[in-house]
Amino acid sequence: MPDQTANNQGATHYNGSPRPVLEVADLHVTFKTEGGLVPAVSGIDFSVAPGKTLAIVGESGSGKSVSSAAVMGLLPPNAEVTGEVLLDGRELIGLSSEELRRIRGNDIALVFQDALSALNPYYSVGWQVAEAYRLHHDVSKKEALKRAVRMLDLVGIPSAEQRAKAYPHEFSGGMRQRVVIAMALVNDPKVLIADEPTTALDVTVQAQIMRLLEDVQAEFGTALVLISHDLGVVAEVADDVLVMYAGRAAERGSVKDLFHRAAHPYSLGLLGAMPRVDLPPRPRLATIPGSPPSPGSITTGCPFQPRCAYAHLVGERCITERPELTPRPGEGYHEAACHLGRRPEVML
Amino acid sequence: MPDLLWFVLRRLFATVLVMLALSLAVYLIFYALPADPARLACGKPCTPDRLEQARHFMQLDQSVIQQYLAFLKGIFAGRTFGEGAAAVQCNAPCFGYSFPLARPVTTLIVDRLPVTLSIAIGAAVLWLLLGVTLGVGAALKRGKLFDRLAVGFALIGIATPSFLLGLLAILVFGFWLNMVPVNGYVPLTESPVDWAWHLITPWLVLATIQAAAYIRLTRAQMLEEMNLDHITTARAKGAGERRVVAVHGLRGVLVPIVTIFGLDLGALLGGAILTEKVFSMQGLGELLISAVGQLDVAVVVGVTLFSAFLVILANLVVDVVHGVLDPRVGHA
Amino acid sequence: MSSSVVAAVSPTRQALRRVRRDRSARFGAWLVAALIVIAVAAPLLVKLSGQDPYTYHIDLLDPAKGGAPKGALGGVSADHWFGVEPLTGRDLFSIVVLGLRTSLAIAIVATLITTVVGTLVGISAAYFGGWYDGVVSRLLDFLFGFPQLVFMIALGIIVPAEFPRWLLLILVLSVFGWAGLARLIRGQARSLATREFVEAARSVGSSGWHVITRELLPNLLGPVLVIATMAIPGYIGAEAALSFLGVGVPPPTPSLGRSISDSIVWVYTGTDPWFMVFPGIMLFLAVLGFTLLGDGVRDAFDVRLRRAN
Ligand SMILES: Nc1ncnc2c1ncn2[C@@H]1O[C@H](COP(=O)(O)OP(=O)(O)OP(=O)(O)O)[C@@H](O)[C@H]1O
Ligand code: SF4
Ligand SMILES: [Mg+2]
Repeated sequence: MPDQTANNQGATHYNGSPRPVLEVADLHVTFKTEGGLVPAVSGIDFSVAPGKTLAIVGESGSGKSVSSAAVMGLLPPNAEVTGEVLLDGRELIGLSSEELRRIRGNDIALVFQDALSALNPYYSVGWQVAEAYRLHHDVSKKEALKRAVRMLDLVGIPSAEQRAKAYPHEFSGGMRQRVVIAMALVNDPKVLIADEPTTALDVTVQAQIMRLLEDVQAEFGTALVLISHDLGVVAEVADDVLVMYAGRAAERGSVKDLFHRAAHPYSLGLLGAMPRVDLPPRPRLATIPGSPPSPGSITTGCPFQPRCAYAHLVGERCITERPELTPRPGEGYHEAACHLGRRPEVML
Repeated sequence: MPDLLWFVLRRLFATVLVMLALSLAVYLIFYALPADPARLACGKPCTPDRLEQARHFMQLDQSVIQQYLAFLKGIFAGRTFGEGAAAVQCNAPCFGYSFPLARPVTTLIVDRLPVTLSIAIGAAVLWLLLGVTLGVGAALKRGKLFDRLAVGFALIGIATPSFLLGLLAILVFGFWLNMVPVNGYVPLTESPVDWAWHLITPWLVLATIQAAAYIRLTRAQMLEEMNLDHITTARAKGAGERRVVAVHGLRGVLVPIVTIFGLDLGALLGGAILTEKVFSMQGLGELLISAVGQLDVAVVVGVTLFSAFLVILANLVVDVVHGVLDPRVGHA
Repeated sequence: MSSSVVAAVSPTRQALRRVRRDRSARFGAWLVAALIVIAVAAPLLVKLSGQDPYTYHIDLLDPAKGGAPKGALGGVSADHWFGVEPLTGRDLFSIVVLGLRTSLAIAIVATLITTVVGTLVGISAAYFGGWYDGVVSRLLDFLFGFPQLVFMIALGIIVPAEFPRWLLLILVLSVFGWAGLARLIRGQARSLATREFVEAARSVGSSGWHVITRELLPNLLGPVLVIATMAIPGYIGAEAALSFLGVGVPPPTPSLGRSISDSIVWVYTGTDPWFMVFPGIMLFLAVLGFTLLGDGVRDAFDVRLRRAN
């Protein structure tokens, strides 16, 4: 029974949401490079239900993009992926490339950070959106183009019929990102993974794009995995949050758990201060002194230990024993990987 | 596409200007010749009288500018040397008249062109196929045996001068194995089979040398292209690997390859000169070299200008093709 | 806390380290070093072999074979390490090492000239821009679109016979060669000229000369080195081609290209293919060595040589 396995493996769904459409359990990604093995992701679990949004946050290099590429089966051949990726209960890891191809862009779609480089400069945007449709539907080019135009219209491209003939460089940044979103949604996917979809845009456009994502999600019931650096956006749109540090989960829980009851010192660091219910959270990730360890360099103890301001309160354990995710008080599945038993701010 | 049309017109205009400048430059340079072609034409017991006659007949007694203008006029309207019964007619696209060979330069070029074109075009088709397939294959199999073999092959091709490889081919396939004819040219119209049979070695030699550069170029471009984000997008859309390579990867590589191919075709004369000498074929290169030996300025100028025009024309075609292939050109 | 301070290593040092690690680049470097030693020591080597490239040894030729050398491998012997030239019996080893010397000397001088000119023109065009850049670019297009080999051959007709041919070769190679380098360097300099530190130097009122020599030039040394190294094999090949076509250095000065050209008839008839093999291998090794080294240096400095337009 896939359902049961998923629950046992910890790919639990939060908040009593409907049954998750995407469940990831114990995901490991290791790159074989000239310099040796690079463990970029070392066992993470998450799941997301239709119509819900899971945000993944964490510093640069924490393995967010690698995780999402692993889910899509898009990693280069030198990556070794283990664990479980269940889409509607169907295991994706180990599928043949043809089976994976049929799922990619059809059931799970991806929105990239930089729309200019994500689009092919040599083909019109209409062609590119239509291609995404034709790859999964046996329709004529004309029909596919019609569908593409409808999609472009839906994501708010004015006079979509004409603009479909234009090339990516003829669009503004925000419009380009809309094209990419149209391309991702053209097959009505169950899961949409958006990897920092607004980082390359200016602030007003960012808000528009986020609103668009929320709208289409509401309309199609898409499950959204949002990778973001923008805690303001996360607080606004996410249902659940996964905080990643050095390829592992540091903390996860509902958005309220994270913003009001953060239990991991790293999460606190990201929020930049003690979480205060009466103040809105800081919009951007705060900088934490020091830098994350390179993948694989810390083998024992807590990966965050060298930068942790609370480590001295725990002592030896932070250096010798790796903290596992343990339940924390909160709305549901609030968990943090820290030896500190109580909420950190109480200790200070 | 009015953008593209304007672009083409602008380039066309610039091309005509460059051709004019170039022909004037070539004319000025070559008419500073220290040796007097008229003296050569005049023969052994050369009286000052006869020399003067020869100079007048060859129109060498005019100033350089006058000669140049006459040359330009000759291209469009033809020209006549001398008067009366002795007059020599040089018809409309007249690129000068070779007195030592007693033929218009245009005729000489047209006579020799099939040889050079046969060598160059056959080789070009081969090297394009060879270079692009091996280059793409090497990029896709990066680091594997195939890649190493292709890169090694390219390196040897780059490091071997074409004339050396040509001689080696003659030695091995012509002399030792006695498989192919080692020299000579048979016109296509005479016998297509013999034509190809005589050309097969030069084609292969030239193609090997040139393919080397195309392997390196294609491989590098393809590696770069396959690392771009839009390739990942194509995969994320659900395109199969073959489609990703053929529709998305190759499309980006097309532009630089077509550019280089056009320029190489324009410069085909250079490569053909060496090949012609190695395989003893009477093409344009041979015409030029023997003209240099005989101080036949008209032919030297004619062939030089002709090959320069080919290069300039190729540049123009490449620019236009570039504009068609790359939607970003002309907008920026 | 911070465990170690990374020693500041200059980019040049880093690049050298990378060349040392790259196997084919290392091979190229050794090959080039060996060839340069041979070229420099060529007169000494010739003396060591007890021969010279001018003396005829008719006694070593076989009149029955139309003047091809007696014995195997084109007459290789303890006295004549590479055998002798057919028809004249001159010592082929002397001809080959001295020919290499000629080739490398011409190629390296041409490289130096074109690098200096190309760098000056390329950088100044990128820095000053405007109409000057426009004129330079058109000039480069013009030279670039020129049928170089054709023109080089044709030039042979107008240069007086007294004019030294080696000098003519260098001039011709330089006149057509600098354009390619200038274009590449202009591209590199242009991307640099818009970077902050150059803008900064400009905005505090540094003179153009100062910005070029103090800011641009030092930062372009890597690319310039790469472009120059990669140009050398082209000059070696071009020199050989011109000599092959009979417009290079005149006899009796040894030349690899001319020897190969002279060998055509002996290859056709199969009477003495070794006459082609020895100069051929030397020419091949010279181009190969510099190509490998050039590739290695390019990868080490990580310079992307794209035509910037
Ligand atoms: N192809 C690869 N080969 C080797 N290591 C890789 C490869 N791709 C990613 N990594 C490593 O995996 C780690 C995680 O990278 P990832 O791109 O997932 O970070 P990220 O969390 O998305 O960061 P960012 O916020 O900057 O996007 C990094 O340390 C990176 O160096
Ligand atoms: S386990 Fe120790 S070092 Fe790691 S986050 Fe908790 S307190 Fe800090
Ligand atoms: Mg990322």
